[in-house]
Amino acid sequence: MTSYSISLAYDTDRRSIWSCLYSFREVLPGLLAMLFIAIFSNNMPGVPNPFTLENLFVYLDNVIGPINGQPFFQIMNSNFVWNPLLLGLLIGNFFGVPDLWKRGLSYIHALMPLGILMLAPHFMIGHAFKLGIVPVLISVGAIFFTATLTLYLSRLFKLDDRQGATLAGALSTGDPHVCAIMMPMTKARGGQVVHSAICVILFGALASMVFPFISHLFNMPEKYAGFAAALGIGNGHQALSAAFGVGYEAGRYAHYFDIGRHVFMPAGFLYVFFIMLVRKLRHPESPNVHATGSIQKVPLYILAFIACWGLTCLHVFKEPTHHQIFNLVIWDFSLAAGALGLSIPFKEITRHGLKGFAVTCLSGMIRLVLLFTVLGLCIKTGLLA
Amino acid sequence: MNRDHHTLDQNGFDYMENSGREEQDRDTVGMVFALILMAVLTVGQYMGLY
Repeated sequence: MTSYSISLAYDTDRRSIWSCLYSFREVLPGLLAMLFIAIFSNNMPGVPNPFTLENLFVYLDNVIGPINGQPFFQIMNSNFVWNPLLLGLLIGNFFGVPDLWKRGLSYIHALMPLGILMLAPHFMIGHAFKLGIVPVLISVGAIFFTATLTLYLSRLFKLDDRQGATLAGALSTGDPHVCAIMMPMTKARGGQVVHSAICVILFGALASMVFPFISHLFNMPEKYAGFAAALGIGNGHQALSAAFGVGYEAGRYAHYFDIGRHVFMPAGFLYVFFIMLVRKLRHPESPNVHATGSIQKVPLYILAFIACWGLTCLHVFKEPTHHQIFNLVIWDFSLAAGALGLSIPFKEITRHGLKGFAVTCLSGMIRLVLLFTVLGLCIKTGLLA
Repeated sequence: MNRDHHTLDQNGFDYMENSGREEQDRDTVGMVFALILMAVLTVGQYMGLY
């Protein structure tokens, strides 16, 4: 039976929207697999299990020792998305995925919009304005510029547009998580998502080592070296490692300025999605257009996300509600990442080669040099004190 | 035809395949759950339940 006939069978048997959840007996084994991967990967909210991959990495971090004050596995982006993904990858590739699990694992497609929507209360734009208007404008400019540049370079390098869009979303927002967020929007394949995340993480790790030299080359004051690290490296501990490599004050300021990048992250990934959707609608027959797949109009959950982001900016979601919702996001993405990891053979990740990494490095380095130039000009003209 | 043992079961169900009506239903279900959870937590705090 082909997947087309399976889809037809779904349409025939469908009674309501809840039909996509199948029967409880069918999905239970898959849901349990996702649950156990999640609770053995992360210290999940409400689960007092000490035997987690997260705790193993913390132990190893203490053995290795910090790099510029930052734990190695945090620099390599160990978190509630990539830990279960790694565990799922290992289980799927070494032990296989039993057929019995597959109905339950398909819940990943409901969990993705669920998680994306619940991320909205995380991005309170008002918090960025404590930085002042010029740093906010530079932050927003850096996001849109990087997204556009990465999309352009991926086209120049003839990269698959789904991977190009995933890279553009993640690199512009400075967060490898965004690769997973881009997945339902760009319809990227699992291997492309993981490959893109590896490219962004590796670029961040390399760039954080080069960053102090570039900063000294531009003779950048520590305060704004921290700003450049937050925007040009992104990814939390990688930015901190880069900035603390310059100096203590730069490290503290990287933390201070990071909010400018963080709260505008949705603008970055939504921008990439809209660009790819418009491109697909304008060239529906082009053999090189794959991104956004069968999406013909903006999905309802994206509109709901934008509405919730608006409510967030109006401070509707106060503390501790925002934290409670984020705990659910941790649960949601951990479950989904386990299912994603199980779905990808190692060769699916490696077959994308080095083009994606070349695009990431080129785009990231151009962004970094331009950031230093813009910051230098702003300091010279008095726009930044 | 080679079967993708990671995602495809013996009945031809591919759990990473997401298209058509099924995709719309999954999106809607995810969205409904998210809105319910967020509304319950938000209203709960406004009503002083936690």
